[in-house]
Amino acid sequence: MPTAEPVRGRERQEARLARWLVLPAVGTIVLVALFPLTWTVWESLHLHDLRMPWLGRPFVGADNYIEALGNPRFWSALGHTVFFASVSVGLELALGLGFALAMNRAFRGRGPVRAAILIPWAIPTIVAGLLWRFMFDGQGGIVNAVLVAAGLLDQPRVWFIHPQSAWVPVILADVWKTTPFVALLILAGLQNIDASLYEAARIDGASAWRQFRHVTLPLVKPAILVALIFRTLDAFRVFDLIYALTGGGPGTATEPIALYTFNTLFQTLRFGYGSALSVIVFAITFTLALVYIRLLGADLTGARR
Amino acid sequence: MALFAAAFLWAGCGGEPANGPIEITFPISALGAESEVVRSQLARFMAEHPDIRVLPRETPDAADQRHQLFVQWLNAGADDPDILSLDVIWTPEFAAAGWILPLDRFGPDTGEFFPTTIAANRWGDSLYALPWFVDVGMLYWRTDLMRAAPTSFEELRRAAGRARQAPGVRHGLVWQGARYEGLVATFVEYLGGYGGRILDGGRVVVASEAGLGALTEMRNEIYASQIVPSSVLTWHEEETRLAFQNGEAAFMRNWPYAHGLMQDSAGSRVAGKYAVTAMPAAPQGSPTAALGGTQLAINRNSEHPEAAWKVIEYLTRPEHMLERAEVVGQFPTRLALYEGPELGEALSIPTADLRRIVESAVPRPVTPVYSQLSEILQIHLHRALTRQRTPAAALREAQAEMQELLNRSGLGTTGTRADR
Repeated sequence: MPTAEPVRGRERQEARLARWLVLPAVGTIVLVALFPLTWTVWESLHLHDLRMPWLGRPFVGADNYIEALGNPRFWSALGHTVFFASVSVGLELALGLGFALAMNRAFRGRGPVRAAILIPWAIPTIVAGLLWRFMFDGQGGIVNAVLVAAGLLDQPRVWFIHPQSAWVPVILADVWKTTPFVALLILAGLQNIDASLYEAARIDGASAWRQFRHVTLPLVKPAILVALIFRTLDAFRVFDLIYALTGGGPGTATEPIALYTFNTLFQTLRFGYGSALSVIVFAITFTLALVYIRLLGADLTGARR
Repeated sequence: MALFAAAFLWAGCGGEPANGPIEITFPISALGAESEVVRSQLARFMAEHPDIRVLPRETPDAADQRHQLFVQWLNAGADDPDILSLDVIWTPEFAAAGWILPLDRFGPDTGEFFPTTIAANRWGDSLYALPWFVDVGMLYWRTDLMRAAPTSFEELRRAAGRARQAPGVRHGLVWQGARYEGLVATFVEYLGGYGGRILDGGRVVVASEAGLGALTEMRNEIYASQIVPSSVLTWHEEETRLAFQNGEAAFMRNWPYAHGLMQDSAGSRVAGKYAVTAMPAAPQGSPTAALGGTQLAINRNSEHPEAAWKVIEYLTRPEHMLERAEVVGQFPTRLALYEGPELGEALSIPTADLRRIVESAVPRPVTPVYSQLSEILQIHLHRALTRQRTPAAALREAQAEMQELLNRSGLGTTGTRADR
């Protein structure tokens, strides 16, 4: 903002130039983010059913939102999403931290190991989903074969027809696929820790656990938070993995909110109601992101001191 | 939406030649024997009608994708493709939406077709599509494991139980039980076998004694008599065909396409060892086949409906249906073809059996909101079959949701739309 003093001509010129220079960026944001968002909100206030054109396209106010909030399928989808996000992200953070600590030590072949751990992350989710689907197949799947051979199962289990056990491949696949990402983020954090801190701790006679608890953990916290944000937001929008693995079944027992929205929009072609669902999902993830940014921002400034 | 409209505008500006032949666009699969037959029939048509050119429009084979594409095109008011190939469950939807033309003015010879196939293509007082070929659910049974096919569910259970004692036969019966349209088709056949139906005009009546009997029968086949493996709850047509084709199952519920693929002994262990018959029924019902198949309709925005009709009339001639039966094993929709010996030879199924199966065909609910009804039913049936709900509770919930959908869309109770 200009100060009270009169600004010199050149500065004003520069400011004008700057405005022109940011214009394309602002324009792009409006075009690719604000415009579709506004459109979706507008759409969500209408009855717009592609399959029932005779109903027209009347403005219905909050009806679509009221329908969603009164729909048990919506609430169960939301519940599945929260369950999936907390379990999978929790496991990924714990395992990721473990892997990062292991990879942070100097050992022979550290380079290849770090590269190899990224392989699951590099596989397209839909392919990974199919892979796990075959592994957990009721008839010829390798998981059943191994569990039966090891005496853990009497007979092959059809994993995907039980509302609880259908989650097992879903969670395992997600953990398998994204733990490497978490591990690498945390590893980057670990490598920023000054080695002299550990030296000082050792001189003071701190045990390995105390070193971890009082040196490593506080200093790697920003990296963990970054991983947490990315993973929670991703997990909240989970779609392709479950689409490929269970299709949301049995019944709708593993259907997350994104899959429910997809089905409403692209199978049932209810654009109004589906848009309302999208807006709700957007509101939730946006709030989550705001909370996290708050947390992270406070922590980063705190860490800088 | 805007994107689709734009893409559409672009696709639509092919230009209209001032003179020269009329161009008719026709949706067709990109690959496969079926698409070759259609292409060759269209080529012959053009040779006979030099004033009409039929341009193939390649569309996806997967029914869901094709449906989504058609709905988007027609919503945008596209005049391309001129002719639409519809799954039988889409005709009322497209007709009620005003996307396809009534065909009555062309004077179709509807009396020559199976009445059920015509009934499924009527909406209001008009015929909106002409049945091209018919799909029916049938019971495939192994002639090397038993002497005669069962006709009741009880006989089927017993025969399946006995057949499982033969070496290599792991399953008594396999059907499509994953949560998708195929599950509804299977259910409709059991429901008919118990004498029930899903809709009565604008009223949902699936939560009846017959409905309960049918769903309980399906569930008991899995968990009580265990003639059906629980993995069918994740199976579509192809998984069941592979199990039957490898000799692992004594019975299979499937469409005619499987017969076309399993006759060849190179890939099939059961070639020459199986036959087809109508689905079984309980004493209070009658054998029922879910009616499927493809229909031909004309886009309401087509600029050349007369020429489009000529193409439809040509493709649905008896000799062309017979050709499709020979090459791709599809069942014709014309009654007369079931009188002579040619069809039985073309399909290598005795004509009398064929006729009995096709005559047992019952359309799934003929309503513009069929797809949404079906989605609701799929979820609740699957919940009951995976033991998350009792059959009674699942049917009650399905009925309530389906009725609510009908009421919301203005189709409740009377069965016709209240007003336009």
